[in-house]
Amino acid sequence: MSEDLSRKLAAYLRDRLGAHDLEVANLARIPGGASRETYRFRARYSEGGTSRDRGLILRRDPTASLIETERTTEFRAYQAFYGLGLPVPEPIALELEGGALERPFFVMEEIENCQVASIITADPYGAHRQTIGEQFWRNLGRIAGADPAAIGLGDLEGARTPEDCWRHELARWEKVVREDALEPQPIAHATIRWLKRNPPPPAKKISVVHGDYRTGNFLFDENGDIRAILDWEMAHLGDPLEDIGWAADPLWSHGDPSHPAGGIAREEAFRVWEAASGMTIDRAALRWWEVFASLKGLAIWISAAKEYAEGRNTEAVNAFSGWYCLAFHNQVLADRLGQEFGA
Amino acid sequence: MKPEVDQILMITAGQIMLELAPNLAAQYAQGVAQLSALMAILSAQEYDRAAEIRASENREMREAFAELATLVDDAALKTRLGVAAATTDPSLRVSALNEANYALRDLLIALHEHIEALDGQAARAAETRLWSLLKTFAGRRRLYLPQG
Repeated sequence: MSEDLSRKLAAYLRDRLGAHDLEVANLARIPGGASRETYRFRARYSEGGTSRDRGLILRRDPTASLIETERTTEFRAYQAFYGLGLPVPEPIALELEGGALERPFFVMEEIENCQVASIITADPYGAHRQTIGEQFWRNLGRIAGADPAAIGLGDLEGARTPEDCWRHELARWEKVVREDALEPQPIAHATIRWLKRNPPPPAKKISVVHGDYRTGNFLFDENGDIRAILDWEMAHLGDPLEDIGWAADPLWSHGDPSHPAGGIAREEAFRVWEAASGMTIDRAALRWWEVFASLKGLAIWISAAKEYAEGRNTEAVNAFSGWYCLAFHNQVLADRLGQEFGA
Repeated sequence: MKPEVDQILMITAGQIMLELAPNLAAQYAQGVAQLSALMAILSAQEYDRAAEIRASENREMREAFAELATLVDDAALKTRLGVAAATTDPSLRVSALNEANYALRDLLIALHEHIEALDGQAARAAETRLWSLLKTFAGRRRLYLPQG
């Protein structure tokens, strides 16, 4: 099967890149989440009289996806932020029809000699904790500060007015909870009702929201440099506080929520973000978005559990998300909101 | 039974993580093996406690329904609460406990929503009671990862 995929991929890239001698080598599937099949490979070809040997990544739709996303969103986000100089892989090709490889896919540059932090690692960055933490929040601030229209993402899915941001996102994830839950979820429903009764103020601006900006979704190298921000498939227009809430969620804190994403201290992180984005964080509004982030997590894990339990996508990560992560976020929300009610 | 199921799962997880995964050539296969080992560790945690968690939740929801039904002014909901409060778990099989648990949790959602809409001190105290219940449930079901 791998040989067959290599052959088809090579044929596609020869045509696409105009490299008639292109060969695909060392094609191997790598972990890349449950929403896309991810493969690493080498593309060897000649260009302008010189030999090229490029590390590339293929991201192909699985037969069932954890989150139903437009693959164009991820590709377009890579294009936009690559152009802005943010650390993202160079996007190479997008195929929506998928005829060449049977399912829709896209190809991008491989960022080599890097690693990803696992959420079960207590201290993922070691001596580079400070510098990686600063870059993590600075990069997020740059995403928030970008003008969506100016970088070609003004038509992304999402909210169209600052007043509509919270309502748009809450409706999106409430629908997932209602449609995908295989068992009753009292904490999710109580949280949804609380979020509706206590809406945040309008967004200070409509930004591109990455949608899954967190530890585990960026690559860093041995020098402590963040080399690539990945997994933009849930990118949309909305309140930039949404990304902060998600990035600061306890699930991604490596056991220490006072240092979100396993990096720098929470208040320092927010100052770095404010400096990079040119905006200030309304702490009361952020509280809403942090509760929302855990609810959004619940919705994603509920969806993962359904995919796994019904046999549509039995990637181990779906079992893990649908069980461990769901139990985790239920506790986060019960503790956070329980406190509001004196429990 | 010795060895117990949780011990078998923990030893199996260790063998997958330390002996099998490092010897797999493909990075994707290594990732699957490591996550599978993690699932075995979580399964070991759940093995010993699964019936206890569900039986406790079911009992505590029935107690809460009996106690809070007096506040409910919706006749149909009140009847449902009374009926549910009088049920018991005839079997300790996890599948049977789950079936009852899902029905009770459905009713818990309806009761919580109803209480939120009521005015008065008693309703606020009932909200505190329900959130305490949810906190207890979530705390019991929390799983623990090995720290690397």
